Amino acid sequence: MNLKEIENILAQQIAIILAVDPSKIIKDVPLHEIGIDSLSFVELLVFIEKTFNIKLMESGLTREDFRTIRSLALSIQDE
Amino acid sequence: MSNINFFRKKRYLTGIDWIIHALDYITKKGTGTGNTSQIILELDGAPAEDEFRDCIGNLIKKYPVLHGRTSRDYNLAPYWKISFTKQSQPLPVKASYLDNTSCEADIFSILAQIANLKFISNQEHLFFHLIYTGNKCYVVMTFDHRLFDARGAEAFLEILQNEWKNKDNTFCDKDIIVPAESAHLRRWRRKFIAGQQVNRTFLKLGENAPPRALPLPASLNNRRFRFKVIPFDKHQTDLIVENAYKEAGYLMLMPYVLASAVWVMHRLFSKRNIKSGDYVVPVSIDMRPTDKVQQEVFFNHVSFLFFIVRPDAADHFPVLIKSIKQQLYEQVKSELPRNFQEASLLMRILPLPILSNIMRVYLKGQIASFSFSNVGESAYKSSSFMGKKILNILHMPRVPVPPGLGIFFHQFQNKLNVVLSFLEGILSDEEANELIHTLQSRLGAK
Repeated sequence: MNLKEIENILAQQIAIILAVDPSKIIKDVPLHEIGIDSLSFVELLVFIEKTFNIKLMESGLTREDFRTIRSLALSIQDE
Repeated sequence: MSNINFFRKKRYLTGIDWIIHALDYITKKGTGTGNTSQIILELDGAPAEDEFRDCIGNLIKKYPVLHGRTSRDYNLAPYWKISFTKQSQPLPVKASYLDNTSCEADIFSILAQIANLKFISNQEHLFFHLIYTGNKCYVVMTFDHRLFDARGAEAFLEILQNEWKNKDNTFCDKDIIVPAESAHLRRWRRKFIAGQQVNRTFLKLGENAPPRALPLPASLNNRRFRFKVIPFDKHQTDLIVENAYKEAGYLMLMPYVLASAVWVMHRLFSKRNIKSGDYVVPVSIDMRPTDKVQQEVFFNHVSFLFFIVRPDAADHFPVLIKSIKQQLYEQVKSELPRNFQEASLLMRILPLPILSNIMRVYLKGQIASFSFSNVGESAYKSSSFMGKKILNILHMPRVPVPPGLGIFFHQFQNKLNVVLSFLEGILSDEEANELIHTLQSRLGAK
């Protein structure tokens, strides 16, 4: 799966979690500015585990790795 | 009014609504006052009292759901019986004018008194107080939790603000809004499967029951709640968020503030030499997407996460954080909040006295060590109310008894507030002050 595809999957899932139009999800805006909070972030991490088989909750990734959909997609690709 | 059909006069209650009714029943039975809460808007300026009364009067006509009572349908589902005949009855609004010398402590003492007032009838669920002092005004909305959850109550204040903005519009029958809810009498298999998971969760919570809890006073009747409210400024809030990142990780504010609350409670319980049982903390979470609160203002749209903390984990903050994060992840993964909503629909068949007893069976007479919530950013989005700038929004919830003790966080304009709420006699004033100071230190905001 290429980076663009991962980004699209994540953006689509965030739109589902926040119940907003997917077109409103901007990929290089910090997640907390899109409206993601602790609970919705954990929902996203659970989705990543189920979809990509990667556990990110205790992965030691930093704020920069998680900050935007783009950086998160990169982290998933690296894993 | 004649064109309103029979079915619009009822709004079925969900399982969560019924559990909130049971908590109201327990609290009313114990303390004489139900499961109520209040929101306070602290305003820079004084809205006109007559305009406020006019807006409230208009809202009653539009929202007859404000006057309602619980009933049970022929299909046995409980519902909220909406009274269209009460629309002309005004909601209570009282105004107090304090002199300029009233200090913050005086005002908080008055706010605490108001939080403990009872509703005068079973169809009254909301009243307002306006407290004018110097150049400020406190708009206090005291509400029955059976009618609103915390974010719903905030959203209702936004409706009031919109009513003021559109005050020149004339009222007609089509403006009447009646919330709707299905009776949820299908998909029984799904509900029973959810019930199995919830049952397993509760059995696990009760492994070391009863949980660690502060003893209730011998006589609960007419005991008041007391409150300690700590508003954090923007700088302190930024510090707390940064500490949450350093100690818990990115976007882990909720687990961080919960762990901090458990950590300070553990110190208090240890000082009291209460050493048996685990900490069991139910955490209410909003099930509405952030932008949908305005569409689901009335009744309860929450569910619960349930955290269990072994006392040895509560001694070490990194272990405590890890345990809470792990439990949060597992419960989200297993869809516990959604399953709890589904499973609770099965409980609606039970009369409230029986349900309130069953709720205490798993934890051998207790419900929790203490209550906790992190409401998040306020659902009230305007920066002003009736033309006056909002300085802060505060919540003062009475906590169901037992446990009669709770810590609640919420945010307004990216500034955190924390409220400690406790039944008189559970904590001494000294203990409450120490608890709140320790919490401030633990969060790194002192």
